[in-house]
Amino acid sequence: MMDSTVRYFENIWIEPPMGRILYRLGYKKTKTKLDDNQRERIEELIWQGVSHCHPRGAFLILPITKRTEDSITIGRHLVESKSLTELLKNSEEVALMASTIGDEIIHAIEQEIKQENSVKAVIYDSTASQIADKTVAWVMDFINKSLQKEAKELTSMRFSPGYGDLDLKYQKIFFEELKLEKLGIRLTETYMMTPEKSVTAICGVENRVRREDQ
Amino acid sequence: MDKVAFHKLLKERILILDGATGTQLQKKGMPKGACPEQWILENPNAILEIQKDYKEAGSDIVYAPTFGANRWKLKSFGLEDQVKEINIKLVQLSREAVGEDTLVAGNLSPTGEFIKPFGEKAFEEAVNIYKEQVQALLDGGVDLFVIETMIDIQEARAALLAVKESTDLPVMVSMTFGEDEKTLTGTDPITAAITLEALGADAIGCNCSTGPEDMLPILKKMKSVLTVPIFAKPNAGLPVMKDGEIFYDLGPIEFSNFIDEFIEAGINLIGGCCGTTPEYIRLLKEKTKTTPPKMWLKNKKSALTSVRRTVFMGENIPLVVVGERINPTGKKKLQQELLEGKLSEVRRFALEQQQKGANILDVNVGMPGIDEKKVMVNVVENLSTLSELPLCIDSSSPEVIEAALRIYPGRALLNSISGEEKKLEKLLPIAAKYGAMFIALPLDDKEVPSTAEGRIKIIDKILEEARKVGYGAQDMVVDGLVMTVSSDQKASIETLKVIEYAAKHLKTSSILGLSNISFGLPERKWLNSAFLMMAMAKGLNMAIANPSSENLMELKMAGDVLIGRDENCKNYIDYFGQSKATPQSSNDKPKEENTSTKIYNAVLKGEKEDIEGYIKQALDEGMKPFKIVDELLIPAINKVGELYDQKEYFLPQLILSAEAMKTGFNYLEPHLLKEDSNRKKTKVIIATVKGDIHDIGKNIVGLMLKNYGFEVIDLGKDVPKEEILKQIKEQDVPIVGLSALMTTTMGEMGVVIDAAKKEGLQTKFMVGGAVVTKEFADEIGANGYAEDAIAAVRLAQLLEQ
Repeated sequence: MMDSTVRYFENIWIEPPMGRILYRLGYKKTKTKLDDNQRERIEELIWQGVSHCHPRGAFLILPITKRTEDSITIGRHLVESKSLTELLKNSEEVALMASTIGDEIIHAIEQEIKQENSVKAVIYDSTASQIADKTVAWVMDFINKSLQKEAKELTSMRFSPGYGDLDLKYQKIFFEELKLEKLGIRLTETYMMTPEKSVTAICGVENRVRREDQ
Repeated sequence: MDKVAFHKLLKERILILDGATGTQLQKKGMPKGACPEQWILENPNAILEIQKDYKEAGSDIVYAPTFGANRWKLKSFGLEDQVKEINIKLVQLSREAVGEDTLVAGNLSPTGEFIKPFGEKAFEEAVNIYKEQVQALLDGGVDLFVIETMIDIQEARAALLAVKESTDLPVMVSMTFGEDEKTLTGTDPITAAITLEALGADAIGCNCSTGPEDMLPILKKMKSVLTVPIFAKPNAGLPVMKDGEIFYDLGPIEFSNFIDEFIEAGINLIGGCCGTTPEYIRLLKEKTKTTPPKMWLKNKKSALTSVRRTVFMGENIPLVVVGERINPTGKKKLQQELLEGKLSEVRRFALEQQQKGANILDVNVGMPGIDEKKVMVNVVENLSTLSELPLCIDSSSPEVIEAALRIYPGRALLNSISGEEKKLEKLLPIAAKYGAMFIALPLDDKEVPSTAEGRIKIIDKILEEARKVGYGAQDMVVDGLVMTVSSDQKASIETLKVIEYAAKHLKTSSILGLSNISFGLPERKWLNSAFLMMAMAKGLNMAIANPSSENLMELKMAGDVLIGRDENCKNYIDYFGQSKATPQSSNDKPKEENTSTKIYNAVLKGEKEDIEGYIKQALDEGMKPFKIVDELLIPAINKVGELYDQKEYFLPQLILSAEAMKTGFNYLEPHLLKEDSNRKKTKVIIATVKGDIHDIGKNIVGLMLKNYGFEVIDLGKDVPKEEILKQIKEQDVPIVGLSALMTTTMGEMGVVIDAAKKEGLQTKFMVGGAVVTKEFADEIGANGYAEDAIAAVRLAQLLEQ
């Protein structure tokens, strides 16, 4: 059983997903025509963007202490959400996760916008978004690999406050349990996280069963 | 048992380790969630029986059940003050179980905390945590150590250093790799093997996580580079849950059927991890008892590692480029940042050099006014996770070098050790302790020899001294010492002789800081290039250089092909193959390259630096400003729009074109106003609504609107509806763009639109944001929805008509 202390990752290496960054900018492999200079310049800007990203993360495994048809209690936190309750129907524990890519890239994007360097701004933005996505995926992957020994795995879907019927106010649980200030993430009165592109997510921990036993 | 006896034994036969302890303890009644160490002490018969059984099954070595007996792990059970007693008692139990003729290994395993640079705990703290346990295990009387199930190379290094700094007993280290053949923190088997061997592990291997089948390719990779024995403890297959119990899918016979492949792969010690039992071990023993072990390599590889990559150096390997940019000399911005403790420039240089093809990053932070040790440690920690490239620690201070090598989670290159007595005396033992490769600098206390003979003497002396601390020729890189040819025309010849000596006689790698050769002469690149080619022909295999120099990188690629270091010309083709990309279609260009064509193409290709000049030329030639706009700029940007719609252009190209057009417009604006003083830009207000503080997307929309000639009034984020309405009225704004990122704040957009309607304002609203949809836009009565910045521009163009 994984113990219930928060684990922090201070430096996560995320390989920039070049294909996805370009795709987000509208690049189509078979159609878009880029000459060498343009490609090189764009890749250079992507790497510059990467140098401003500081991917960090945290997670914690908590027990599900009570459940009803449309609510679930995680540790001591009651969460009213039908969809989350459904997601966690086969779980006895949950993983609370958070990730961020830091302030620096957000400031860099703002700076480029201020100086009206549109190309840099959109390339940094696309890079930041994709690195942020990969960071939370990395945290999930890490937990999954750690759970393998116990014949457990995370639900393939993850939920975040603000989506579906999981109210944004539940961000508080993540801040309380994961102490996200340690990662430099802050919560506003309206439950918004800064820096932008920070992510919180919840997954169920399920038993890994043989396919034929399912 | 000492290291010599350990290796002697392993040359005689394959040794058998024990099987699982944890899963066996559970079978004997250890409850879930219990502290295993404490439970064993309360139920000693369980471990006595398990380990007796392993001994009887054939184990030559059993692991003392001290897996989690470090202070950090024990803390979660409130037992952190009993580290010493617990470890001593557990070792004594193992000894009681197996007696004196079976070896007992003190078991060190993950602390459960993450170590810097990956985690938050200081490296030195981790070393001390392990040292405490190592001392207790020594007090308990272990014969050797095993560090197992490590998921992070840096934590494995901390444990290994803790053992090495406490005792000379043999120490085995095994990492845990996933199905992707990487540790959880991204280290591959070869990189782990080289890093741990350099730091002094006496046997290296892997355990847990996978079954025997998946472990075999990992072991083969390790064996291919190691000069120490390899070992393995696979799981009994993959764990699955059935009726609340964990099962493993390989039985003892199926498990032991893999043994021939393990023997073929060169295994020197083998046992089992989770799910295995004495029966598994008995079969392993039976199948290996008459098989002679395969030996390990005699000579170490010349290789450097980072956390995630190994860079090899050698005769048939392409020239290794050591990126020289992380050095404050002559770089004001970098100097300033280092003084302020910032690392943006360092990070930028690191990734830029990686992208341009550097294989290793030289790190030099020496400059007046900084705490070099502190800054070096900070930079090394930062780059260890940011870049995949191994580092070259470049400093003259032994203290700085030791601090950097200690915390560097790989095998570094030390730049450099000269023949000066004090340097040899101080730096060689430090470099050897951490297993770094080093650059030998051929100068000593007396001179910087101008002849090859003088330099070779010093190099021989450095190598002789290095051998005394355990180094071989393959660990050294000879610096040919480049002197400027403008002051001594024979300088280049002497350097080349040194390179040849290193390659042919010593069989070491060699390196040059190329650009010194041309100092003081014009058109330096020709001299640098010619010198590089000559040196490569003599055997040079490393160069300290700026990888942004295309000339140098292109020559390197060609040189590697011509001296047979680039198999099938693969690197060359990869590098230059990109240049074969189809040039832009020229069908749509006006045919003559007159001024009009140039203006049109400047927009089409996004050449904002050139467009002003072309427009000035057109005006000088008598072209009317409105004609330039209507017949060149607008058709060109429309063409760009078409190419974008057809996906031939993507966003950055579209923006470059829009920026070029905006530059053109701005230049023309005074002229246009002269012709038509009523001409005005359409105003657009943009705002992120109240309650929402995310505005990157909205700001990008603002930028794009400006590029397309709108006057943008950006009200910022978290803007109350009253402010938006006030600005619409005061500034007479026809279009408003509202943005919201969250489901909780998007409703506010409807509130603003309703309020505007109630006040009878004719303003048109467009909305957007991550969770906003067209349906939502319709529902709240917006005039349009834009899914991205380009759509927002098009929508604004539509709404302004």
